[in-house]
Amino acid sequence: MSRILVAEDDPHILSVICLWLSQQGHDVDEARNGLAALQQFGDKPPDILITDVNMPGMDGLELLHEVSQNAHHLRGVVVLTNRWDHREISAGHAGVNVHVVPKPFSPSKLADLIAEIDSDAATMSPPE
Amino acid sequence: MSKPRQLNHSERVLRDMLGDLSQVTASRQTKSLAVLGCGASDPRPPEHCLRACLKNDPTSVDANGCSWLTAASMGRLDTSGLNGDKCPKGFSVAAETVSLGGRTGFVLSVEGACGREERASHVKGFERLESLSRILQHVGDLLEENEGLAEEVLRSYEQINLIFEFTHKIAQVTETPEVEARLLSSLGELLHATNIAVVSDDDTWRIFDVSDKPTQLQANASAAPTIGAVELDGLRRSGKVSVFSRGDSHLLGGPLVRLDGRVDIVLVTRPREACVFTSGDMLLIESVLSFGGQIISNCELHEKLRRMSVETTRALVSAIDQKDHYTCGHSERVSLLAMMVGRELGLLGSDLQSLEWAGLLHDVGKIGVPEEVLNKPGKLTDEEFEIIKKHPEMGYEILRPIASFQSVLESVLHHHENPDGSGYPYGLTRDEIPYLARILHVVDVFDALSSSRSYRAAFRFDQSLEIIRKESGTKLDSEIVAAFEHLIAEMRRKSPGELERMYASEKAAAHD
Repeated sequence: MSRILVAEDDPHILSVICLWLSQQGHDVDEARNGLAALQQFGDKPPDILITDVNMPGMDGLELLHEVSQNAHHLRGVVVLTNRWDHREISAGHAGVNVHVVPKPFSPSKLADLIAEIDSDAATMSPPE
Repeated sequence: MSKPRQLNHSERVLRDMLGDLSQVTASRQTKSLAVLGCGASDPRPPEHCLRACLKNDPTSVDANGCSWLTAASMGRLDTSGLNGDKCPKGFSVAAETVSLGGRTGFVLSVEGACGREERASHVKGFERLESLSRILQHVGDLLEENEGLAEEVLRSYEQINLIFEFTHKIAQVTETPEVEARLLSSLGELLHATNIAVVSDDDTWRIFDVSDKPTQLQANASAAPTIGAVELDGLRRSGKVSVFSRGDSHLLGGPLVRLDGRVDIVLVTRPREACVFTSGDMLLIESVLSFGGQIISNCELHEKLRRMSVETTRALVSAIDQKDHYTCGHSERVSLLAMMVGRELGLLGSDLQSLEWAGLLHDVGKIGVPEEVLNKPGKLTDEEFEIIKKHPEMGYEILRPIASFQSVLESVLHHHENPDGSGYPYGLTRDEIPYLARILHVVDVFDALSSSRSYRAAFRFDQSLEIIRKESGTKLDSEIVAAFEHLIAEMRRKSPGELERMYASEKAAAHD
């Protein structure tokens, strides 16, 4: 079980992702935009961040940039996107385990990915 | 005490709502609200009430705790006889029944040790509790409905994703068997199947492995799911998805219907220790098989039409070749050689296809040339030659109305143009001549030299090549000639005798 923060501006997609992940046994928090997510990220640091790219105010890439400054507790980030330039999204965030998932995403594959991030984190040695 | 079970999403929303409400309604810090008997049992009654009930031992709620709280948490409280008298001194309790998530719960209000004037407002408290429980009930119902919708959305997401990935995967694939294999292995992956079997209407079985790289396994008895002929027949006739349970596995079956009415039965197998197939799985296979059936039918139809158009064209072209007794099989060979040269030059898909068709059709205009001119033994007069020179333009005019031949038109029109400008019909030079037409020209000349023409005996291949080499740069494009020579040399090295075989049938036919 992981503590997961989901940042997504579309309320329907947000509630579906949160429902799905809490059904999988995760502790899920939701944020409607990048700024709210950044605030919550500081207040209650998640194990995993799931973020949309296109959001008003602060978008997912800016959010990713902000959190990667202070990400030692973060096991992984999942970026949901309609865009195809995956390499550009995952580049330039050294030290953060970034996965790009194209929309429409498969819920079961998202769950598999979260499990994979968790098991990767479990096999790595704990940070000093 | 056992660890509390994980709350679901709706229960968490209810819990948060109760937390907010109890803050709003609390006129004294000692007042609290809770829903007992379903998951949202936070916030709990005030700690000091519990302690008073349980004689300061919160762990003994079952053994000697407050009978109301215990009954409520088990979902068995009778609210009719409830009054505050049995509470520890100074406490009072009120409850209303709600039904949340199919279970009975109780909205419980516990009020702490209070003075006389507070007791007087107890009736009011009950009224408030009643409306509160109605609101909670309503919200609980909405949440439940919402959750049902969300489940539906999740299922749709899976389906959309499958369709998305599948179309992405088959974009490069046109062969029907491969489309089928990819469709089925994607389906199997999604349904966590061990394998997928397809039973055709002639009762042949094919079994597919479930992996990224689809493979059709040898149909062996051990991999095939056990299903009776009666059940198969039932599936075929009902056209509906069904679940069967077997001693050693779970089985999900559904029809894959082709547009022409043929029905294959698809059987998805899951090992016994995996979970049973759900209604969601049934919905999924139903929609996948219905769009899959259409895609596969379209592929088959496409292939059938393509084959038909090639065969029809071949038949017509060979009828024209027949008219010119000495060029039997010429168009077929030019088509084949032109494609080979195209490949040698590094051309890809659509250009190769254009060469294939242009090769077949380049002499179609000869249909307008009188037979006595075509088959005249000996040299042609200038007048006769002028007639022959019309055939590229006539071919162009014949093919022009056919929309799908637009890409071959200019090759047909210009396949007798020479780089030095001495060709016909327009006397184009070098780069003015379309590339594919230049290829066609070289191949056409080689084939004409190598086969028996009316006006001279066939040259041997070496002599033909020699002539072509001499005309390279003047009558023939030098880049193409070089590629052609390389191709012929490679052909002779790798498969000696193949060139001779290509022309053997021509000789036999010409001597008829």
